[in-house]
Amino acid sequence: MSDLLRAPAEIKYAEELDWLESIDDDPKPFSWRLSPKMVRLFILGSERADGLDREVSQKWFGDRSFVERSIVTLASDRGLLLIGDPGTGKSWLAELLSAAICRNSTLVVQGTAGTTEDHIKYSWNVSMVIAKGQSRESMIPSPIMTAMEAGVIGRFEELTRSTSDVQDALISILSEKYISVPELQSDGDGDNIVFAKPGFSVIATANSRDRGVNDLSSALKRRFNFVRIPVVTNKKSEAEIVRFRTEELLRRHQIELEVPPTLLDVLLQSFADLRASAAAAGSDDEKLESALSTAEQIGVLEDAVLHSNFFGESTLTARNLAASLVGSLARREPEDLAILNKYLHGVVEPRGKEEGGSWPEFLEGGREAIAKLS
Amino acid sequence: MSKVPESRAAAATSFASLRGQLHEAADRFADGPEALEGILLGMVDDVDRAVGEPLEIFPVCHHSPASALAMARRLREKQPKVVYLELCEDMAPLLTELRNCRLPVAVQAFASEIDGFPAEWAPLSVVAPITEASAEYQAIAYALDTPGVELVLVDRSCDHVFQWDARHEQAGESTGDDTAGPGTGPVEAALHGEAVGVEIGDLRPRFAELEEHLLRHGKVRHWSEWWHQYVEIPLGDSDHDTYRQVMFLIGSLFRRLAPGDGERVRVDEDRERYMWTRMREHLTTTGTDPADCLYVCGAFHAASRVEEFGVHGADSFTISPRTDTRWQYGLIPSSHAAIEAQFGLASGSVSIAATQWAKNLKRTRVKPYRLQGQAGTKKERPTKAAARAAVAPAAAEDQLSGFLSRPPVLDTLDEAELLGWSVDITRAARRNGYLASTADAIAVFETSILLAGMRDRAKPTPYDFQDAAITCIEKDTVPGRRDVHRLVEIMMGGDRIGQVGYDALPPLARDVHDRLAPLELNLQQRGVRRALLDMASHPELRACSDVLWMLRRLMPAGAARPIMGERRLGERSIQESWDLSLGTHQRALIELGYEGVSLEQVLEQRLRRAAYGPQATTADVLAAIEDATLHLAGRRLPDELGTRALEVLAAERTVDGAPEVLRRVRGLLAYYRTHEPVLPLWIESFVKAGYAHYCTLLPMAFTDEDATARQVAAMLGFLFSMESLALSLGCDRTQLELAVAQSHPQDPAKTALLWAAQVQLGTLSREQLRSRCDELLANPLVVPSYPHYLSGFVHALEPVPGLADMVVEAVSNAFGRLPDAVLLPWLPVLITTLRSDAAELAPLLVREAGRIFPARLAALDAWVPPWRQRPAEAPAVRATDGVSLLSAHPATCDALAELLGCTDGWAPADTQPRGVSLLPAHPATCDVLAELLGCDAPWAPAARTPGTATLMARHPATAQALAALLTGP
Repeated sequence: MSDLLRAPAEIKYAEELDWLESIDDDPKPFSWRLSPKMVRLFILGSERADGLDREVSQKWFGDRSFVERSIVTLASDRGLLLIGDPGTGKSWLAELLSAAICRNSTLVVQGTAGTTEDHIKYSWNVSMVIAKGQSRESMIPSPIMTAMEAGVIGRFEELTRSTSDVQDALISILSEKYISVPELQSDGDGDNIVFAKPGFSVIATANSRDRGVNDLSSALKRRFNFVRIPVVTNKKSEAEIVRFRTEELLRRHQIELEVPPTLLDVLLQSFADLRASAAAAGSDDEKLESALSTAEQIGVLEDAVLHSNFFGESTLTARNLAASLVGSLARREPEDLAILNKYLHGVVEPRGKEEGGSWPEFLEGGREAIAKLS
Repeated sequence: MSKVPESRAAAATSFASLRGQLHEAADRFADGPEALEGILLGMVDDVDRAVGEPLEIFPVCHHSPASALAMARRLREKQPKVVYLELCEDMAPLLTELRNCRLPVAVQAFASEIDGFPAEWAPLSVVAPITEASAEYQAIAYALDTPGVELVLVDRSCDHVFQWDARHEQAGESTGDDTAGPGTGPVEAALHGEAVGVEIGDLRPRFAELEEHLLRHGKVRHWSEWWHQYVEIPLGDSDHDTYRQVMFLIGSLFRRLAPGDGERVRVDEDRERYMWTRMREHLTTTGTDPADCLYVCGAFHAASRVEEFGVHGADSFTISPRTDTRWQYGLIPSSHAAIEAQFGLASGSVSIAATQWAKNLKRTRVKPYRLQGQAGTKKERPTKAAARAAVAPAAAEDQLSGFLSRPPVLDTLDEAELLGWSVDITRAARRNGYLASTADAIAVFETSILLAGMRDRAKPTPYDFQDAAITCIEKDTVPGRRDVHRLVEIMMGGDRIGQVGYDALPPLARDVHDRLAPLELNLQQRGVRRALLDMASHPELRACSDVLWMLRRLMPAGAARPIMGERRLGERSIQESWDLSLGTHQRALIELGYEGVSLEQVLEQRLRRAAYGPQATTADVLAAIEDATLHLAGRRLPDELGTRALEVLAAERTVDGAPEVLRRVRGLLAYYRTHEPVLPLWIESFVKAGYAHYCTLLPMAFTDEDATARQVAAMLGFLFSMESLALSLGCDRTQLELAVAQSHPQDPAKTALLWAAQVQLGTLSREQLRSRCDELLANPLVVPSYPHYLSGFVHALEPVPGLADMVVEAVSNAFGRLPDAVLLPWLPVLITTLRSDAAELAPLLVREAGRIFPARLAALDAWVPPWRQRPAEAPAVRATDGVSLLSAHPATCDALAELLGCTDGWAPADTQPRGVSLLPAHPATCDVLAELLGCDAPWAPAARTPGTATLMARHPATAQALAALLTGP
């Protein structure tokens, strides 16, 4: 585990999944490793009232009904399409779902403008074809085809980035649940058809900002159930997410450093302020180029943590945090710096005088960083 | 009475086992028995106390079909003689009007004139919505329609609602959760306006953590859903005792676990004291046996621990008197969505409750009470008041232990019903533009069952079904007006919107409907009705048209919208067409009824309020006069308001309203001149006062930075256009001339305005103005501000319309003379300045330009602007030009003379200077002059002789010398 930069969920939580599987006595659909209720428990975490021997941590933060609807969709005949703004945790939810249901979240097709039908169905190992002709051995199955053969979940990231004709290759996979390989000779044993085993389903994600680029065809739409994941606006949940992801990052970098809760508050508050000012801004010049998403917040914190760890005194300070905030958010030379400058002096300075705490140091750090950049 | 202690004792023993169990539980779950045991056993005490009360308490929860069903059953069984109801006591007289309405409607108390509350609270409004599926409606219907039964409302009056409401005092905060913000959400949700809602049986944990906990473990999203799942359905079929005890228990639980908000608890306790005090008063005055009564209140209040609780409670509460605020009462239409929005219920929950109620009735065959002649229901045979003996309160048995230990009876939704829903939602989705097919119906069905399974339910609830339908049918976009969530709500019963019947309407609303009757439209119904009024062939429709125009003035936009036809001063259409939706805006019409008994009265009040308000400006008062003239017959009100306008004008020190004042006065003057034999006195005084007023303010306005060019132009417009009238009324023009002479503006636009005014007054010639413009264009330092001068000139078209050609010339010169390098950056400035400052006058300018410039492109090459060709083409005209022609061609004059019959012949041409002939004719002039100069020589003879002859006579030597010269020696 330690030699992986980022372990997939099924490896990372392998032990927890094993344990859950051992205590799970509810009926399981198809070849699922966990029952739907256990999948929900794995993703949303346990409580005291669940009466479990050990605590299961919450891994995805959001409305419970989204998770329930997603699980139920996978247990039904249709594919699941998670749709939402960037940074809302769609892919993470997809990964958790696949890991919990079939212990394999790595059968992923990444949708891009260059994705072809071969990436979804199969392609050929050319040298083997030359040497031995077309056969099942010389065929290279796509992740989706592999998932079909194994009866597990296949994932398709950023479905709407790939072109419509490529997307439509999914239609027959989702309705007929087989892929025929016309290049292979059929001698009546069905060797030229790859059938899906029970348990196969597809989780796709789509960015709602991409709407209109490559719209899904109606035929494909009706083979997917759409679950829309909204942006996190609740401060409490956002704090949870940032804390959770940061801990994970620290563990990955093997850094022993504590993030003081007051600094986390400072970070959340400053993002909330900047979002409010972006919402009030009249033109693009008056708002930061950054989308100020939760993912961005995590980035700022990670940056500050790494900097403190390697170049500082191994403690995270408000000064470092401010420097990292300015460094990450200032992308355009005069505009972004001006906005941050205005923010520091218009909002942070009075707050520092009023509330004290980490704010004055945060202001200092921000000033220095801006001075260096300008 | 002596039974009471016995029954209490009996009750006390009957809960003993439950107490024992709870005691054990407290020991087991909490660290020490104190706190938890206190709560758990306290709850049993509360239940015990409420059950043991001789006056039967009937705990209810709002919009709970289970409550309504239990109420109907209990009323049939017990037939109480008095029903005490937790509802504002001053709303009682209105309840019988409910039968004229289609439910849901809300009983409203409304006060616009307030006394005793801060003025900024006005208008005060309280609503109590009533649905058919509620316990309170059952109680009301039973009490009002059963002979010999009295209904007594015992809760604090609407006045006390505000007296006790400390939340208002927190500046800037809204009145709390139960106030629906107007304009939020759909129209149906805003039916109650800004009213404060009161409701019987508000039952919800006040302890946020408890609610969160319950929701999480119930695997539900909303409190309404939890209630439906865990209380409503299990209680649906339970007997009376179980129902009561469970409701008492829930009330007590929420009460004991409600920390924090002391203010709210205080109000609740005061209400309980109030209610019990009222009930005891009623019992003593009427001498009714408490056993014959039923007290309907929210479960929360049933578990009260105040001293005043019970028939034997302490009489220590004094009810504070009401304030002098004048309250008015009425019924307004309500809707399920409005109730949900006002009381923070899940959307669709009231509709689901209504469906559940209908289902329960069918299943249990309980006959509900319904007011006789209740609008919107089928006719029923009148219920006979069965003279059944009142059932004495039996010793309460412990029903709680059994209820609490039984597993909940889960929803009885059957498969056929779910299938029906799945098919219906697919069909509804298809009708609304979704690409839904039978495959979706199957998927919805399957998903509902899977979801219910995940949430530990044997059968899916309507909420599970809704989730399933959204999952399977909703895609990335909503194709039509409604999304799947809303479609499911509609399918589950949908929003019901109530309607107040004609008889329950206030006099004003009835009057409006009566007066609009000739239109022959059903205006009570919701939706838009198109009315066509042809007044030429049906003169009787004129009265309807008057009403409609007043409604348009008084009601919110959309209630009455003219499509064709307009009404302005002096103008009436002969045909009009209107879009009317009085049914949709019934609340607004009813609230209008609180202000007066007829539209005219309300309009007069409003106009008067607008004109006499402390912030009223002259323009406002003039607008009120215009409205009064338009809508109200007679001159009384306009004349009165006219006097007010004079007062306001005299007190005004700014010229902000000048453009509006000018526009309105012009309109009114034009109207009076054409429609009245003489001008009203007020408008004459107004013009006089206005002339003097604006003359006084003019120099200041010219220099004041805050006064815009538009305002100054309007002042000048007033002065110039009203001048003739003002001068005829005794004003002096010198005042205006002096005012203009005193004005020294700095601002370019205002300078241009001043020049225009000077041209109008004759103190500046057009040539001078032209040369000033030329100077401006020649000076590179001033050129950037030239557009502002132009803007001033364009504004000057209002007071001095004759200057239009000069303005065109000024603009053309700028284009003609400025080099491109200056002109191009300058153009946008010109356009934005003109557009922002003088948009309404630009058409005048364009028209004038169209007159001056050649119409065809071909003509442009040869075209010379009129201001350039003027010196060449117009030489000085001499008077003698024509005269010389006449003497050269005498025939013309001969012919003319002949025609005129003159026969005197030609007089010899007068070569002498003309004045000379006057002198001999009037010698006195010369005598006087001579005397003045000191000449005493006598007059020379008349100068008929040539001048030289006179000289000769005077100097004879010359003549002799000349003669000698001529004769020679």
